[in-house]
Amino acid sequence: MLTRLSLRLRILLFFAALAAGTVVAVALGLWLGFRQLGEPEALSAFMTAGVAAGFLILGLVAGIWFLFDENVARAIERLSGSLRARAHAPIEGELDTKPARYLGDLAPAAEAVTLTLSETRNALAEAVARETTRLAAEKERLEALLSDVPVGVLLCSQDHQLVFYNGHAMDLLGAGAAPGLDRRVFDFLRKAPILHAYERLLETDDPDAASDLTCATVAEARVLAARMRLLEAEGEKPGYVLTLRDVTADLAAHAQRESLLAEVLDRVRRPAANLQTVTGVMTENGGVTQDPALRTAMAQEVASLSRAITELGKRYDESRSGWWPLSLTRAADLAEAVRARLEASELSARTEAEKLILRCDAFGLVALLSDLAARLAREGVARKFELAISEDGAGAVIDLAWQGTPVGIGRLETWLGEPLEVGVADVTGRSVLFTHATECWPEKLPDGRARLRLPLREARRDHRRPPPIPRTVVYDFELLAKARYAEIAEAKLEDLTYVVFDTETTGLLPSEGDEIVQLAAVRIVNARRVEREVFDTLVNPGRPIPPSSTEVHGITASMVAEAPTIDVAGRQFHRFAEGSVLIAHNAPFDMEFLRRHEGTIGARFDHPILDTVLLSAVVFGQLEGHSLDALTHRLGITIPEEARHTALGDTVATADAFLRLLPMLKARGLNTFGDVLSEVRRHGRLLKDLNA
Amino acid sequence: MADGGKPHSVLIVEDEDNIAIALDYLMTREGYAHERIASGAEAMTKIRAMHPDLVLLDVMLPEVSGYEICQEVRMDRALDDVKILMMTARGSAVERRKGLALGADGFIAKPFELKELRTEVRRLLGGEASAAEGAGS
Repeated sequence: MLTRLSLRLRILLFFAALAAGTVVAVALGLWLGFRQLGEPEALSAFMTAGVAAGFLILGLVAGIWFLFDENVARAIERLSGSLRARAHAPIEGELDTKPARYLGDLAPAAEAVTLTLSETRNALAEAVARETTRLAAEKERLEALLSDVPVGVLLCSQDHQLVFYNGHAMDLLGAGAAPGLDRRVFDFLRKAPILHAYERLLETDDPDAASDLTCATVAEARVLAARMRLLEAEGEKPGYVLTLRDVTADLAAHAQRESLLAEVLDRVRRPAANLQTVTGVMTENGGVTQDPALRTAMAQEVASLSRAITELGKRYDESRSGWWPLSLTRAADLAEAVRARLEASELSARTEAEKLILRCDAFGLVALLSDLAARLAREGVARKFELAISEDGAGAVIDLAWQGTPVGIGRLETWLGEPLEVGVADVTGRSVLFTHATECWPEKLPDGRARLRLPLREARRDHRRPPPIPRTVVYDFELLAKARYAEIAEAKLEDLTYVVFDTETTGLLPSEGDEIVQLAAVRIVNARRVEREVFDTLVNPGRPIPPSSTEVHGITASMVAEAPTIDVAGRQFHRFAEGSVLIAHNAPFDMEFLRRHEGTIGARFDHPILDTVLLSAVVFGQLEGHSLDALTHRLGITIPEEARHTALGDTVATADAFLRLLPMLKARGLNTFGDVLSEVRRHGRLLKDLNA
Repeated sequence: MADGGKPHSVLIVEDEDNIAIALDYLMTREGYAHERIASGAEAMTKIRAMHPDLVLLDVMLPEVSGYEICQEVRMDRALDDVKILMMTARGSAVERRKGLALGADGFIAKPFELKELRTEVRRLLGGEASAAEGAGS
């Protein structure tokens, strides 16, 4: 039982027992002496001597205990804390042996051990680093390849948890900053089609089988075409790969086309049928009836038919280019590609492109323009060209000009009907023009030049580029084999997913109206901080930020003017932290700021919570300093000065501290979340445990 | 009326007989001197020989397209005063632009209202009232 008590408490008990024993022994000795003397009047002298001796003994024992506690017990606790920290974390720097100076050779011996450990670790680290560098280079190349795959790729475990995703998947899923490893794929994609496809593939029992499915995103109801393939797994249910492609636009175009076709039939069928009837009556019996009513009926039906055809034809022309999957291309890039093709054919081209983004099939256009230039050269019309791309209403116009006479439109039409050299059958200049719903024609210019003119219907000025799709991949393949727990208390610490967060605020008193001005969080999955899963936002507090607070975190009113308010930022954060254990340094402070707004956020922060202040107390004892600076210093973590007192800087430091505390907790036999919870509750006088 | 009291001359280049009949009828009623040919290949010879004030030119002709005829007319300086009104069933904005770029003076999409065609023809022929104006239509 005594082994469960701390060393200092055991020593205190030892000295208390010693004092009590000594006092009892002295009292017993005096009592025996008094009995032997047999003089009752000496009782008061014996009593006085006994009380004096008792106090003297108690004072002496207390004094010795104090010295012992300070120089031995606490010194041992500090030394063991430092040793444990070095044993489980890569902490550099010499061991502080000053507190252990009265422990004889123990401190020098511990110093020697840590030095040897450090040297061995360094040698091992160097060897590992060499190999890691090689593997990292290979990994980077692989990541670059995967991030460039132009479809969304997800890899999920058998429990439908995300194990891998690329940048395109992030964009398609509408998951904001990042979907989050180890999150359920059903948080982003509707469940039924995925489960059906998974079951279908399991039933086929064919490792090479793939299943095509259509699914929709939870967030924006985007329709995605997906293909699922199972991963290889022995003896258990396998995970799977999902490749995703957004077909919302395809479906919309298809629906638009179908609707137009249906409308054409509907609007043409009726007047056509009516016309047939009316003309049938008018021409019955071989003559033509001149009945005014019939003539009016015929004129009305003809007008109706004519109106329908004109209107529908116009709509067809307007929407035709939208039915083709055209991509966005910079005008300068298109011009440059044509120039390169012409120069490869020993033709010269001067290009001039306005800053435009064109919606086009760049490959087709480059092939068409270079084909036309080559034909003009072959016909001896010109070898030097000027290619200009300029703004033209809502679109752009491409001009291929040369010095000389214009080419005949008949000749041009013939060329447009012939195949282009693009390596694909049936691609002609005419088909490229059809794809863009446009035309091409020759023009004579007043300065003796001629040109071919090709308008494009859609272009925009290249002022603001849309945010690029992050070229990244995020993964942890060990998640494929991760254990799942019914009860969080039974979950091993390294198997849990954590969201470490921190807030910067207008002040320290939420009860008096102080609010959050910055909120940052990172995710820890499989005992690793996921570098690319970061939540970081300024928050508009809806109240002034006192200068004294700005001095601490550097956030001013103008910086948060355009930032989301706590209801929006809180909702985003809640989504980011869904299904995770929350970790903060001094969690009650941050949680109070969040929980006050649960109503407006529309979500409850009822996550399991760990506090690194309490974890530090568990590992290093209550008497040590547990500020973030003290903890990170003890654990050999450096917070860059510019990151300190920023929500993200402190969050990353807290996350790294937690990761270094993890093995120390395990070394103390605290393996599960439940173990840690019951241990931190012993430190309740330091901070309130929020998992009540 | 054209200068000298002669009626304006119109050449209809149209391969579809039904629409050609209607155009013939309309031009007659409007009081224009007019002829019609159905072949694009013969159109240039006819235009040079007839030198009409206006060519009603269908775009979709067999062998030689209306665009080709239009371009050839515009390249012949002797035919500078010949007006061209192009007619097509494909009347998108870009087709219209192409026709006008190749030298057409007007562009009308089929199916068209007779009123629309009549207005366009009158505009191209100098806005003068035709022989039949006032007689109703």
